Parts: sequence; C-alpha cells; structure tokens
Amino acid sequence: MSATRPRRSRASDGVFGAVEFLREAAEPMLRRFVRSHRGATYAEMRFEASFTRTASAVDGEARDAFESGNAALGVRVRYAMADGAAGEGFTGVEVGRIALNRTKLSAAIDSALAGAFERARCNAREMAALARSVPAAVIKSMALFGEVAPSTERAEISATCRRDPRTLNPSELGRVCREASAEIAALGSEITYNAVAALSELRHEIFINTAGANISQAFAFSQGDCYVVAAADGGYQESYDTIGQQRGFECLADDWRDELTPNPSLHRFAVELGRETREVAAAPALKPPDREVVVVTDPHFNALIAHEIIGHPCEADRALKMEAAYAGRSWFLGSLEHNEIGRPVGSPLLWTCSDPTLNGYGHYLFDHEGTPGRRVTHIEGGVFRGFLNSRATAAILGVEPNGSARASEAWHAPLIRMSNTFFMPGESDPRKIISEVEHGYYVCGHLVPSIAESRENFRISARRVFEIEHGRIGRLFRSGSVIADSKSFFRQIDAVGNDLRLVAIPNCGKGQPMQVKRMSNGGPTLRSRARLGGG
Amino acid sequence: MRTTAEMRGFIREACAMLARQRDLAGFEVYASSSEHRVARINYTSDIPARGVEEFKSLDADGFAIRIAMARDPRETGNSAIAGDLTIDAARDALERARRSVIVDPHFPGLPRGPKRLRTISASAEKAPLMGAKDELLAAAAWRIVGGALAAYRAKMKLAMPQPGLVIGGDLSLIRDRIAIGGSNFDDIRTDESARFASSVTALVEAIEAKGTATAMGVSAEELTGAGARLGREAIIRALALRHGERPRPGTYRVVMGPQPIAEILNYMVVPSLTAGAFQAANSAYQGRFGELVMDERISLADDPGARAGSVRRRITCEGLPAERTEMVRNGRLCGLLANTYDAHRLLTDEHRAEKLGGSAPAELAFPPHNAYRMGESSARRFDGHPGATATNLLMTARAGVSEAELIRAVGDGIYIGRVWYTYPINGQRAGDFTCTVSGDSYVIRGGRLAAPLAPNHFRINANISEIFSKPIAIARRARHAMVWGSPEAYIVPPLAIEKLILSAIGAAESD
Repeated sequence: MSATRPRRSRASDGVFGAVEFLREAAEPMLRRFVRSHRGATYAEMRFEASFTRTASAVDGEARDAFESGNAALGVRVRYAMADGAAGEGFTGVEVGRIALNRTKLSAAIDSALAGAFERARCNAREMAALARSVPAAVIKSMALFGEVAPSTERAEISATCRRDPRTLNPSELGRVCREASAEIAALGSEITYNAVAALSELRHEIFINTAGANISQAFAFSQGDCYVVAAADGGYQESYDTIGQQRGFECLADDWRDELTPNPSLHRFAVELGRETREVAAAPALKPPDREVVVVTDPHFNALIAHEIIGHPCEADRALKMEAAYAGRSWFLGSLEHNEIGRPVGSPLLWTCSDPTLNGYGHYLFDHEGTPGRRVTHIEGGVFRGFLNSRATAAILGVEPNGSARASEAWHAPLIRMSNTFFMPGESDPRKIISEVEHGYYVCGHLVPSIAESRENFRISARRVFEIEHGRIGRLFRSGSVIADSKSFFRQIDAVGNDLRLVAIPNCGKGQPMQVKRMSNGGPTLRSRARLGGG
Repeated sequence: MRTTAEMRGFIREACAMLARQRDLAGFEVYASSSEHRVARINYTSDIPARGVEEFKSLDADGFAIRIAMARDPRETGNSAIAGDLTIDAARDALERARRSVIVDPHFPGLPRGPKRLRTISASAEKAPLMGAKDELLAAAAWRIVGGALAAYRAKMKLAMPQPGLVIGGDLSLIRDRIAIGGSNFDDIRTDESARFASSVTALVEAIEAKGTATAMGVSAEELTGAGARLGREAIIRALALRHGERPRPGTYRVVMGPQPIAEILNYMVVPSLTAGAFQAANSAYQGRFGELVMDERISLADDPGARAGSVRRRITCEGLPAERTEMVRNGRLCGLLANTYDAHRLLTDEHRAEKLGGSAPAELAFPPHNAYRMGESSARRFDGHPGATATNLLMTARAGVSEAELIRAVGDGIYIGRVWYTYPINGQRAGDFTCTVSGDSYVIRGGRLAAPLAPNHFRINANISEIFSKPIAIARRARHAMVWGSPEAYIVPPLAIEKLILSAIGAAESD
C-alpha cells in the first residue's frame, strides 16, 4: 500500500495549522521564558492537534455520530533554588479553537508556563523546608535524584493513511456500523444486545524544548469495536473485541492484510463476534478440574497475558515503586539490589519484547520526552533482561533511555507505557502443539483480567475454552479462566508457536488522573500448565 | 477557570443564535470549565525519588450542543468545541452537529423538566475550595511526606540500612463549573463543585508492612488537616501490620471492611443498577426489578446532596435537578440510575417485561436524576455524553451492630480491609468477581483481631450474592471509602460474611 503524507498545514487546516506555527515560534518562546524567570532551568512543550470522527449503532439502529477537532498543550518547567533544592511543575490545557488564533495561543502557552513555573517553585520551596527539618540521611534518596539530560533530537514524521479522516464522508462510518449491527441482531433471538462502533482519527503532535529538540510526528488511527450480549438455554455470554490500525479508514472498510496485525473488515469482524457469542452462550459453563492442567493459549488470549504480566511490570516507574499506591509494583524488581535482572523467570523457550518501531497499534518513533523508541528485550530465553523506561528512570537504573515515556494526550504528563509488547514467536506449528496434548484445555480469546499487586499472580477469563482430548479439540465451554502464579506459568511453558499475532488494545489505563492509551499486545500460541476457573 | 458569569453569558448568546435556526426543533447548549490539580507523592528510601512528583494542573473548557431537527423528530446531532466560548465557536459547533445528524428511532427528544429552577444565592452556590491555590496543595502534599517520615523515625528507632520505605499516593483537587440552557428551559442553569481526595500508601518492604490512609473533603481546613495526618496514619497502620500471617487457602468467615465493600459496589453492583444495563441485558440483577436482591437489612441510595458526601451537585449535566435515587430499599431493587435516553429506551423496549422481570410494577418511571458528563479526572467535561453516574453512594443497614460485635460474630476468620483489581470476571451479568487482598487486613481469632494478614497473600473468587445476600451481621456505622479512579464517593458499612473462598497467591521471588 502507499503511504501518503498529510497535506502541509496551513491556516485553513484549522487547529492543525498551529503545528507549523509552533514549530518555528515555540522554541524562542520557551527560551525567553526560562531567561526571564529566575530559577527556571528548563522548559518543554508538547502540542497536539487532532481530528476525530466516530459513529456507533446499537441493535441495528444508529445511536451516535460525532466529529471533533481539538488542540491541547502540556508544558513542563524545572526550577532550582540557590541551595540546590529543585522542583518540576506541569500544566496541561485543552486549548481547542484558541489554537486558531496565534496571539491567543501564544498567550495560552505563556499562561501555562507561568502556572508550571509557580508549581515548580512551590515544590522546590517545600522540599527545601522538609530538608531543613529532617536529618540529611532521611532524605538522601531525594538528594540522589539528579538533573535528567533532556533530548536534543530533531525529526519530522508523517502519518500513514490513504483516507484522511478529515475528508471521510460522515455517513460512511455510520452505515458500516449500522449494517454490521443489524446483521448481528438478525443472527437469532439469542442476541439480546449488540453495539458496533467505528473511529477514524488524525493526530499531529510536536515536542519542543529549551535544549534544542524539535520533533513533529503525525499519526492516523482507525478502530472498530464490537460488544455482543447473548442468552440461550439459561446460559449467557458477554463478548467484546477491538480491531485497530495506525492507518486511515481503509483498514476497516475492507479486509486488511498485514504481517503481524491482519484484520477482517469491521463488518466481518463484528458479525463473526456475534456468531461466536451466540454459540458460546449455548455452551455449558466450565466446571474446572481441582488441579493444575495443560493449557494451550491462543495469540488473542496471550495478548492480555503479555499486557498484564510482561508489559505492566516491565514499566520502570512501577518497578521503582512510583505506582505503589495505584497500580502496584513489579514482580521483576524487589529492590535495586534484589531483583530478577539477569535471572531466570521462565522457560528457555520464553522470549518477550516491546518494539514501537513495528507496525502495530502501539507504533511510534519518538516518545513524549523526545527519545527515539527502540526495541527493548524483556525476557531472553527465560532470563529477565530489562524495563521500559523514561529519561529519569533510565538514570536511576543506570541504563540508556529507551523511549517509552508517553502521555495519552498532550495535556497529560508522560508516563512509562507499553508500545507493541508481545511474546516472540517460536518454531512449533500450533496444530502440533494441540495434537501433542493427551488431555488439556485450549483457551481462546481474552476477556477480563485480575492481577495481584506485583503481577505475580493472575486470573484472566477467556471468551471460549475447549477441552482437548487425545490431541483433538472437543467440547466448548463458557465462563472459563486461567489462574496461575506468573513465574510458575512461564516456567512450565513447553511449546511456543510460530503464529505471532498482535492485537489492538484500545484502552490501557494508568496514572492519576487516569490516562487511557492505545497499544498492541500479542504473541504466538503457547502451552503451559495452570489451574482453571469456572462460572 | 471560566467564571460562572462568563459561562452564563456564552450560553445566553449561543441559545439566542440557535433559537433563530429554522431547521431546528430544539437545542441544548452545555458548557463546562474544569480543573484537576494533582501532587503525586513519591518518596522511596532506597531508590532516588523526588518526594512529590508531577505537580500538575489539567485544565479543560468547552461546550457541547445537541440539536433536534424540525424535519424529523427522531433526527438528532451533537458536537463539542474545546477552549472557545464565543458565538463564532457556537456557529462552528452548529455546523458540525448538522453534519453529524443521525436518525435514531428511539430518540426521546431533549431532556425536559421544570421550565425554570428556583434560583439560589451566589454564596450558596459557591464551593469553598474553588479559590484554593497551588501553595495550599504543595504544602499539604509535602506535609504528608514529612509526617510519614517523622512517624517512621519515631516508631522505628533502630534504623534499618535498607528498609524499603515507600510513601506513595496523591493529593488531588478537582473543580468544575457548568452552565446549561436550551429550548426546553426558560432559564440558564449553573452549578459548581470543588473537592479534594487523597490516598496515601506506606510500605516498609523489609518487614512486609503496608498501610493506607485516605481522606476526602470540600474545605481548605479539611485539606490542610488531611496533609497533617495522612502520612503519619499510613505509617502507623503499616507498622502495625508488619510480618503478617499467611493462613492456608480455604473457606473462611470474613469481615469485609468499607474499602472492599466500596470496591465491589463500584465495579460490580453500581454498573448493574443503571437503566442502560437493564436495556443492554447485562445487569447482574436482570429480570429481578422489584425482587429481593440483597439482604433485607441493606438499603442503597445515591445522594448528590448528602451532607456527609464529598461530591456535591445541584443539577445534572442534562440541566435537571440532581436528586436522591433509591436503588435498593430493605434488600429490594426499587430504582435505577438513569439519564433521559436510557430511561426512555428501557421503558419503551419491546422486551421490557422480560428485562425488568415479573415483579416490576406496571406503572414505572426512572427519573433521570443521574446524567453526568464525566471526564477521566472525575470532573464534569463538555465533550462526553451524559451517562448514568452516581455521586455519593450510601449503603445503610437496619439492625446494625458495632464493629466489635461484627468481628465477634465471625469468631475465627479474616478481616479484609483492602482489595485490589476487582473485576467482573465472567461478565457483569454473571456477578462473579475476583480480586486480591492487598493490605490493611487481619486474622480474626476468638472474635478479635489477633494478627496482621500478609498483604497480597489471598485471592478472592466469589459472586456478589455471597457478599450481599446473607451477611452474618452488618455494621451500624457507615464509613467513607475511596475507589481509585472512581468519580463517586462511598459511605458504606463493613459486612460479616459466612463463607468466602480464599485461594493463595504464590511467592514471586527467585528460587
């Protein structure tokens, strides 16, 4: 397929026109601000312009259509007192149509910088006050947090899309949703509810700082979601799934072929989920055996294991206890001295990584600190190797920054996030993996996760569970889930398929306030041992 | 933030412009201005840390319009504009809404209610925390860190070389103002709210100690008070819970404290108590409206005006009066959270009888008292659709007992004070959930709290009916509880449960 560059931004491009203006104007503004505010040592700004078109249908009838253009900015200021106490402040603002007016936009940036500066100064003063009131040994860890070197990268990256979301016919998304939803509703009276939604979005963002970084990146996103509820013979099933690409709407209108993330058209995808949900509702609930069993897990199910048990605990902010009060810690790092780095955490067949440079819903080339994104190997032949990091956490861990600090929108502060995070493929044919099982279970499609605090244990439910008998797939069950201690599950992996697939994850939540981020997770078929949960 | 007068002026001007459009049968203009200031607390004794991270402010202003077309009463459109409350922006929004119109056969028209609401004085409308400055937040956040360090030093006189002391959490100040007008109202309605919430977790990893402390409030005095005590409280609780026991997995009698009850209500029960859930056939109480769904001693209501609640709202994001909604009265399901669309959709659904069940009264209404446009930061936002959201969730008990009697009633068992990652594992309708016991918990022996329970030792696999249907006893006093990321405040009593299956979580350390 051909990748097309978005049109050059002009004033007539609405809020997108502000991107070109700020690429020239923002750096002098930031430098001027730092020069004119005593104590300010550094400033950075992220700005984004976005256009989103959405539509949805419920039970075959139109439910909603929406078109929105927005612009937002986030600024960070560092402040240092003469005695060495330092602080950071951040301001995020949705400026929207203000971005159409350069004078007002410049005023909004100045105001945001002033707010961030004030917060940085308050922070530094309070830190200094604490330092005066407690022995130095108590806050030695705070003295060790040194200045973090900022990015000096400069780059310009275009979005890849054939059909610019801004020029889409508004009725086309609605029609696709309505037709798919109507076909699901017509599958039978067992379908009690269904909703189909489509989104197409263009986003253009810039990162500029007083150290000389100036990075422009544009992204196109298209996403289809489907939710189906079915009831049959006393049984009940609720299934949902998403397809998504960093492309234009072309990837939902038709089947999309891609090496790692192929998807059917939104219509076919939704109707197939409807059929499956209807079939599962009629199946018996799983009565789990009271012992550990052989489980073969498919790529879609493994996407959620990769997300929850590899990806999240590989975020260095979580590992370094910065998320301890919210989303927990990491089973890979007890302390800087006692941790799993360089130690076996799984079978020699287990390899996992994050790679933002691959095509996938989590693709990017620079993170929101201006660091180039690159592949990070987390587990290599069963041995734990390393974390996703930001510039600050890389400095703490004594490693190079790997470009993993990202915010969901420009008005949010960047956090460490997954990109395309997955189990790497092995060499086994998935059919052979199943055929070698005398008795076990084939677990397909992920639904809902529940994870222990350091992600050392999990229960993840599946859309479908099949019994395997004498190497053949047998009875279908609903309400099944896999329950395991993470290390035990990884150590018992004895087969890894050659069928790597990445799955779009549209709604990973993290942070305070919550940021919802898009990414990809996935893997090949895996075989291990675990307990099962039922319904 | 925008002033109320500024927002009121914009709504007046936009409504006048929309009233002149001949192709419209009706319209609504909703504006919001919101701000979320956050100081994240992050002190670690053995890892470099900043003490307070990400001191930040997130601001969002904007408006949304909804239109109903004259040519077809089922034809409706909507749009939203950020940042600009001017008549040019309103015209732009109108064009976008016209481009986005759809024909929705179930569109009930724009929300209707009293044409005019009783006006209240400006001082009554004013939220006390609306004018709070950065200095107040910064000082309180750093006092939490300082208080925790002072308490730790006082209690742990023998310094460990590497204690693994972690003080984490946040102090958040959430403020919003809204204004709404439209063709169904004769007046412009405004509201504002401001509250703070803080959750602090203290860990001393070397001795497996973990404790938490939380606070919510609506005044500067409460915020300052929270800063003075939360760090200290979290440390004291953590140290009291060090070296917890690891009982064998099995079936136990348990007391569920306020936080676990709030968490289960938030993720499992409240989402099932909406008109939208019944319409989508995915409520855990599907077909059971009017039936006994909880123990007869339990009642559950939402009250946006509750004096004890920290979420104060006078009008909904549809411009209607925000009022108390009773959902469960003496165990019986009697009401649902609703917005205008979902209430109409459920009441006119051809499968209504099946969805609500045979015990539902023939004459039934779901007043849309709960329609809020919520953003990620729990403030009201202009660009969301009005969903059905609770404000202050109040669970009350008849024949309640003291907490000491509650623990005595269990005899031997577990007190669960904090759970984590509670999700409907088999879908909302099934009512099955799983979560882990993450801290603030004890082993009960002989009717007393006998020893701390190790955090992250047990996983719960249960159904909501096991929690709420036949508790052994319910505490008389309801207490505040917070759920991370939830826009609601919870005021709930602890419950004693006859039987709960607890499975063990394996250790994560390398062999």
